Parts: sequence; structure tokens; C-alpha cells
Amino acid sequence: MGTGFEFKFSVIWESIPILLTGVKLTIFITAFGLLLGFLLGTITGLMKISRNPLIRRMGGFYVESVRGTPLMVQVMFIYFGLPLAVGTRIPPIVAGITAIGINSGAYIAEIVRGTFQSIERGQTEAGRSIGLTHFQTLYYVVWPQAFKRMIPPLGNQFIISLKDTSLLVVVGVGELTRTGQEIIAANFRAFEVWLAVAVMYFIMTMSIAKVLNIIERKLEI
Amino acid sequence: MIEIRQLHKSFGSLEVLKNIDLTVSAGEVTVIMGPSGSGKSTLLRCINRLEDITSGTVIVDGYDVTDKATDINFIRTEAGMVFQQFNLFPHMTTLGNVTLGPLKVRKMNRKEAENLGRELLAKVGLKDKADTYPDHLSGGQKQRVAIARALALKPKVILFDEPTSALDPELVGEVLDVMKQLGREGMTMVVVTHEMGFAREVADRVIFMDGGDLHSSAA
Ligand SMILES: Nc1ncnc2c1ncn2[C@@H]1O[C@H](COP(=O)(O)OP(=O)(O)OP(=O)(O)O)[C@@H](O)[C@H]1O
Ligand SMILES: [Mg+2]
Repeated sequence: MGTGFEFKFSVIWESIPILLTGVKLTIFITAFGLLLGFLLGTITGLMKISRNPLIRRMGGFYVESVRGTPLMVQVMFIYFGLPLAVGTRIPPIVAGITAIGINSGAYIAEIVRGTFQSIERGQTEAGRSIGLTHFQTLYYVVWPQAFKRMIPPLGNQFIISLKDTSLLVVVGVGELTRTGQEIIAANFRAFEVWLAVAVMYFIMTMSIAKVLNIIERKLEI
Repeated sequence: MIEIRQLHKSFGSLEVLKNIDLTVSAGEVTVIMGPSGSGKSTLLRCINRLEDITSGTVIVDGYDVTDKATDINFIRTEAGMVFQQFNLFPHMTTLGNVTLGPLKVRKMNRKEAENLGRELLAKVGLKDKADTYPDHLSGGQKQRVAIARALALKPKVILFDEPTSALDPELVGEVLDVMKQLGREGMTMVVVTHEMGFAREVADRVIFMDGGDLHSSAA
């Protein structure tokens, strides 16, 4: 029994230039979102291992509230909810970057905390024993070692965050998923276009994995 | 050089050090022996305040370690420490390990620090290992780097916590030789060790510790 379906490669071919503009925006949002997430994650991750219980609690509150709510709700809250409270509209791209940043930050915080705590106590003691301050010991002794251990789980988070940007269709950011939707709305070729979109995501995530792999090997002495 | 008076240290309800009195004079090599769990490491770690002191006074080179006004990082440059497990920084070369303190604590410039670092590595017999990472060193070599790292701060006293206990027997000698040389040069040292030979040869004083008390001391 025929379905009347006929795969048209030309559809993919023609979609590529438009999809690539979506790819560009996806990369842009992912990059800046992760940059923000890395900053937030490093700060709150270190807050979570602070000796001050109040600071620890604050870091914990951020991590738990982000991990305990769906990304979709976070995106909607930042784009539709927050402007009502602060009285200014936020451009969708900024909302997207913020959402990805805040979301990935919570997971990166756990990565930072975990890897810092995995560095043997003797390392900190050796640092302190030569007169380094607490902060200098973190910076010169613990951080470089922890960073090496962070790379695999960070890579994982980068890939997750990149895929998460597709949720930003709900606020109308013209990233890859959104471009795909728009093309289909015009040509009704869902099979070819979603396939092309999937392949493009796959190429991006694979590239992240590859690059991190290379960095990891470079850092092996 | 070190004056400890009525030192008490408890971990929760466990009293590990009970009323310790101990004076170490400049240039003296003091060896501390005693069974496992008797509080030897804790005593050393109270001297450079890697452990908080429950009560009593510890004075290092005239500075009260327990006084909140004392810069504890300064005390730690005065009283260097060598650990059983070496605790070298694995992401730095041996030269990097030895120069970190001079660069970041003593604020020396790089050239000065590296000259000092190479000089100290030569002193512990590792002149040609400056650019080697700790993973590529034997245990004995690691511990000698750790000694050089402690020396790099030009401390007034060095605390050794079982420096040869993690070593294969054939590597113990090379570390003890470095320590003996330091002792002969007049370095003040407090050494926790089970090495009777070392104690007999270099110690000015041997102290026995048991159950958190200093039991006896002999010359
Ligand atoms: N951080 C800590 N928290 C709780 N108890 C501790 C801590 N450090 C040491 N202790 C306890 O204090 C006692 C003395 O320990 P310490 O390490 O000073 O002994 P030691 O004489 O150095 O023994 P060893 O020869 O095994 O090194 C032990 O009973 C140990 O379990
Ligand atoms: Mg011990």
C-alpha cells in the first residue's frame, strides 16, 4: 500500500541556507547562555562549599529552585512574567540567553562543587602550608585540577544546553527549531525538514563532544 | 623557636591532645615517636594551625599562633610542613611546585624564584628534574621535592609528618639523607617518624607520645 510519500532531497537542499541562519542563532544563544551559566555556576558552586552556612544556603536555593522547575516554565517566566514585574520588555534573544544561562548555571554549579570536593584535602593543606591564602589555594592549586575533572561533565552540560535552546521556539526566537517550523509552514515537507534539522543538531553536538575530547587530551600531561 | 603551653585539642568529644607542654629551641632536631592514633600528626598540625586549637598557647618564633591578630599565613611560611603523602601539586612541574610559594607568598619575581627553586632542587639532588611532573617521579623523589618546596619559603622550622612512611624501603634512605643534611646545617626540625636510626643519628631529643600525652623525653 502506497502512502503517496516521496522523499525529495531538493527540499533539504533548498532549506539549508535558511536553516543555517537558525544554526547561527542557536550557536549564538548557546555560547552566550553557557558563558553566563559558567559564571553563575562557578560562583554558586563555590558558594555551596563556602564555610559560611548562609552563603551555602543561598547557593543551594538557586540550584534547587532551577533544578526543581521545568526549563519551559523558566523561559516563559523570564519572557512573559518578569517584564510585567519590572515594567520593560526583554528582547526574546536576551530572554533566551538568560534562561539558558540561569538553567545551565545550576547544573554547572553542581559540577563545580563536585569536582572541587573531589580534590584531595592534602592538596588544600599543602597549599595552605606554604602560606597561600584560602583564595590563592583555590585559585592556584584546586581550580586547575578541578577544571580538568570538570571537562567531561561540562561537555555533557554543553550538549544538553544546546539542545535545550530548541525550547525557545515558545518565545519566538528564530533559532534552528523555529526556522524549521517556519519552512514547514510554507512547504509542508515535515519529513525532510525535521530530518535536516535533526542532522544539524547532531553535527553541532558531535562537534562539541569532539572539541572537548581534544581539550581533555591536551590537558593530559 | 616553638613554645607550646597547656595545649588541648579535641575533635568533638574525643580529646586527642591533653595538656601538652613542649619547647623546641632554634637549631634543634626533635623527633616525636608514638603509636598510631596517639596524636602526633595533630600536634604538628596545631603548630601551623592546620587544626584549630581547643585551648592553650602555641608560639612560633615569637608569634602567638592562637592570637586572632596573628597572620596565620605568615606563621605557615615560618613553619613549613612535609606530609606523609607528599601532596605535591600534580598540575605543576617540580620547579612550579617549589616556586609557587616564593612567587605568590613572598612576591619574588619569576627569575629570582626560579633561581632559588633550581638551587633548592639541586640541594635535594634533583637538579635535572626541574621540568618533570610529579607523576613521573618516584616516591623518594617526590618527597625530596616536597622538602624543597617547604624550604623555598625560608622557614624557621620544618615540621615533618612521617615523611618516609609512604615510601618503599629502598627509597627511605635518600629522603633521610636530605633531612640529616638539613639537621646538620642547623635547621630547626620537628620530625614525626618511626625511623630509629634517624632519631639516634640526628635527634637532639626524642619524645614519646601516647594517648595524647608527651611521655618522656631523652637526649
Ligand atoms: N579531623 C579529625 N576528626 C576527628 N578525629 C580526628 C581527626 N584527625 C584525627 N582524629 C583522631 O585523633 C586521634 C589522633 O590522630 P593523629 O592523626 O594525630 O594520630 P597519629 O599519632 O598521627 O597517628 P598515625 O601514626 O596513625 O598517623 C585519632 O584517634 C584520630 O582518629
Ligand atoms: Mg599521623
